[in-house]
Amino acid sequence: MPTVAALLVALLLVWLAINLAKGPAYFTNIAFIGLTNGAVYALVALGYTLVYGILELINFAHGDVFMLGGLISATMISAVFGVTTKSSTGFLVLAIVCTLFIAMIGCGVLNAAIEFVAYRPLRGAPRLAPLITAIGMSFILENIAIGWKGPGYTALPNVLPKGDVFSAGGVTYTWEKLIVVLITAPVLAALVYLVQRTRQGKAMRATAQDRDAAAMMGINVNRTISFTFLIAGGLAGAGGLVYALYFGQLRYDSGYQLGLIAFTAAVLGGIGNLPGAVLGALCIGFIQAFNEGLRWHSPGSDWTESIVFSILILILVFRPEGLLGERTPEGG
Amino acid sequence: MSATAEPLLKLDGVQTYYGSIQALKGISIEVHEGEIVTLIGANGAGKSTTLRSINGLNHPRHGTIRFRGRDITQTAAHDVVRMGIAQSPEGRKLFPRMTVVENLEMGAFQRKDRHALPEDMERVFTLFPRLAERRNQKAGTMSGGEQQMCAIGRALMARPTLLMLDEPSMGLAPIFVQRIFDTIVEVNKQGTSILLVEQNALMALEVANRGYVLETGKVAMADDAKALAQNDDVKRTYLGEI
Ligand SMILES: Nc1ncnc2c1ncn2[C@@H]1O[C@H](COP(=O)(O)OP(=O)(O)O)[C@@H](O)[C@H]1O
Ligand SMILES: [Mg+2]
Repeated sequence: MPTVAALLVALLLVWLAINLAKGPAYFTNIAFIGLTNGAVYALVALGYTLVYGILELINFAHGDVFMLGGLISATMISAVFGVTTKSSTGFLVLAIVCTLFIAMIGCGVLNAAIEFVAYRPLRGAPRLAPLITAIGMSFILENIAIGWKGPGYTALPNVLPKGDVFSAGGVTYTWEKLIVVLITAPVLAALVYLVQRTRQGKAMRATAQDRDAAAMMGINVNRTISFTFLIAGGLAGAGGLVYALYFGQLRYDSGYQLGLIAFTAAVLGGIGNLPGAVLGALCIGFIQAFNEGLRWHSPGSDWTESIVFSILILILVFRPEGLLGERTPEGG
Repeated sequence: MSATAEPLLKLDGVQTYYGSIQALKGISIEVHEGEIVTLIGANGAGKSTTLRSINGLNHPRHGTIRFRGRDITQTAAHDVVRMGIAQSPEGRKLFPRMTVVENLEMGAFQRKDRHALPEDMERVFTLFPRLAERRNQKAGTMSGGEQQMCAIGRALMARPTLLMLDEPSMGLAPIFVQRIFDTIVEVNKQGTSILLVEQNALMALEVANRGYVLETGKVAMADDAKALAQNDDVKRTYLGEI
């Protein structure tokens, strides 16, 4: 069986190499799209991995928190700030930064509230129970979105500048893609700092590794779990803003699909592993972009979801601990 | 240690359950300031559950626990540590993906006097030179004995008023067992009261001032350690003498 996996990877690499040789500039442009997709997925994937790391729970409502973040962002940008394509750059930046904070705080508080209402009362219950309430939460959030915005798409004016940051030899990098990275990178850097360097981060890592022991060290375990959900929700809120800005429209079920992709990214990287979630998200972002964009023998966008979930299955069969996960008895 | 002074720790009729299973059926024990007190008893007698009741991980359903004159029966685990009770638990419960140094730092998580930590860590390394050699190794990859030392070191890093040790000699080679018991006496001399759970009843009764024998969730005997070591029932059942 491992030879089959090796063969698949080899085939993939050959396909990429031939596409690269046929049009290096075009290939690079597609890779930029992949990087941008990956950045959005990373923000959402991190939330799955953070929560799984601390509770061993797949928070199925997470994608919907992201979706609500997107709707909040779209509303803030277009209705509250009234940004239009004619707004000045200064005002645009101000509106985006304010919206970022509001979406992050809103989704963070929402996610922590979900934990408090739907998961905490089931802390001692069999693992299936919180999984089912998670799915229930997901439906509730989607219905809240329908009640708020209706079943159709909520669209955003095309506010991001479409001009080129640079363009040389057929390779172009546009401002809208750079802005996605400019929003994502500081959020990720702040997360790394938080988890690696702060007291709260230490408490999170300890709680993830042994909850009873963490309590014995003087860590308020419940508060640490709330805090983790707050952070995960905040990341989803940032993801929602970036998604709304970049893709321009979303609706009640946008979080379902993107959530599944981000969850796959988290598993691909090694669920519970933070750098793994980012790596997995970038991989999936690239795979999607290459699949949908490359010209030579690419399956095309109809196949994206099948390919993503085939990857999920392959990972679960051949390397359940993911790309960066450790092979530990407790699986994380 | 006059009989009238309020004990440091006092359990009164403690009954603790796991779901519907009653593990403790009315435990009353005391630890006075400066004492080493040992709990001995067969597997499943309720020794570990007694410690879990005290440290707040498993609150009693009936009875009271008082520490330094305050009722801590329903106090949350993370607050119990802050009041001065630290533990090296059954099964060690280290943070497997943290290094030895990080684990020891976690022991001092709730302390305010951060400047004193390096000195305390050196003290732990002096007690267990083996840990100093492994300071940057992940705790989950160490041998059982090394993990045991790390767990004890981590509890010491809290600078507790009361140190609770659950079978500290478990899984250790005899030379290390001796070292652990020397450490217990040493730490006690420096002013820490100790509640010691042990399978190795012989050595526990040697270092302890007083002891309790637990049987199926009840205190079967309570006496000075010397007297217990001489008791025929104790000898027969727990000291392996006929
Ligand atoms: N997690 C648990 N769930 C159910 N019963 C338990 C659990 N832990 C211990 N017990 C039961 O409680 C009783 C006391 O156990 P314990 O305190 O661990 O004893 P000891 O430490 O003296 O060996 C035993 O009958 C044991 O089976
Ligand atoms: Mg025990």
